[in-house]
Amino acid sequence: MANAHEILGRIKSIRDTMKITKAMYMVSSMKVQKAKRKLVETLPYFTALQEQITDVLLHFPEMTHLFFDNRPEDALEKVKRRIYVVITGDKGMAGPYNLNVIKEARAQFETAQDYQIYAVGETGRHVFNAEKLPVNKEFRMSSNNPSVHRARLMAEILMERYRAEEVDEIYVIYTRMRNSISSSVCVEQLLPFRTSRYLKGQMKEGMNAVAEMEIHPSAELVLETLVRNTVTGFLYGAMVESQASEESARMMSMKTATDNADAMLADLSRQYNQFRQAAITQEITEVVGGAKALQKKKLRRKKAQAVPATSAE
Amino acid sequence: MNTFHLKIITCDRIFYDGECESIIFPGFDGLMEIQAHHAPMATTVAVGEVRFRDPDGNTQSVIVSDGMIKTGDNEVTLLAFSAERPDEIDAHRAQVALDMAREEMQRKQSIVEYNISNAAMARAMARLSGARSIHPEDFNI
Repeated sequence: MANAHEILGRIKSIRDTMKITKAMYMVSSMKVQKAKRKLVETLPYFTALQEQITDVLLHFPEMTHLFFDNRPEDALEKVKRRIYVVITGDKGMAGPYNLNVIKEARAQFETAQDYQIYAVGETGRHVFNAEKLPVNKEFRMSSNNPSVHRARLMAEILMERYRAEEVDEIYVIYTRMRNSISSSVCVEQLLPFRTSRYLKGQMKEGMNAVAEMEIHPSAELVLETLVRNTVTGFLYGAMVESQASEESARMMSMKTATDNADAMLADLSRQYNQFRQAAITQEITEVVGGAKALQKKKLRRKKAQAVPATSAE
Repeated sequence: MNTFHLKIITCDRIFYDGECESIIFPGFDGLMEIQAHHAPMATTVAVGEVRFRDPDGNTQSVIVSDGMIKTGDNEVTLLAFSAERPDEIDAHRAQVALDMAREEMQRKQSIVEYNISNAAMARAMARLSGARSIHPEDFNI
């Protein structure tokens, strides 16, 4: 039966695919664990950095700096030249993960007049290139296995452009994990820093900043170091968080794929069994039918032999 | 001797959280030492070796990448991207990084590239010198 054979072929191919999805599921679940651990580890560093920025800002409230949004020059700029750092995955097969980031990025691009895309991750770069959007060609970063080193490189490149005042604002579009099952795309302004956010947070805690503080060698230099470390730290955190979201999205879609394959296999094997059963039944019927036909033939022949014998007598 | 609370926080762990008698670190323009009850201060820490003495009188050595230090309320917080004990340092890897950075410096570079390889070189050299001085008691604080 050609049909049963076809079903067997499909069962085999689904089994093979299932092996792949299962393996990918395992790999992703390991990577999620790793990324989550990294995320937790960076937390104390992050909070301490933010506290220090707040501290310096509180002690020098009148200080304006290129990296902060309280400069009078900023209000004069009509068109804000922007950089969007878009963090997507390097590979597909991660459910809606990449698509969500790209969708959000497109929505952001519509609000900007003058912008450039710094794509982290191959998927995003491909899509934006295909759409002929202004993607920076020299900025080629992978989003797999984020490292502090890569974050440093990125921070150095971005801050150099910002310091040269070639851009006015830098945004990061990345995916944040809300919990182990859901994540959401968010857009964060990386530079200039929002002074109000830092100060507000501090006011809530009710800390007073009356105490004198010595800053060595100068507030500008200390702030510059702080800003560089925060930018690097933020980029690192965003990459780690995106990676965790990507892998967990992939984990989920691979789990669904495996479950679907299981369901298909159950369905197909039932069909196959039906076919097999039908084939067996038919064969038995044929054999029985054949046997009966033979028997009838024999009987008839016997009768035929018996009749002439009596007639000859 | 009077002590203060020292916290060394890095990107991937809290390196040290405990009492300390004195800490010496490479500042913006040379080595600086902080002892107990220091006035509130914030300053930068360059790439290099930080030494601190715990209440037991042991001198510990740490190689840090660039960061920040803050004092106040008899508490000192050092924030750095990485901090490693000399015996944790992979001297071979540091040497490779140094060679690579040197090679990069040979090429004509943009300012950004120069900054990156310059910083990489500083880090590699600091780690190498840390790895060479694996016995902290040889340092007299």
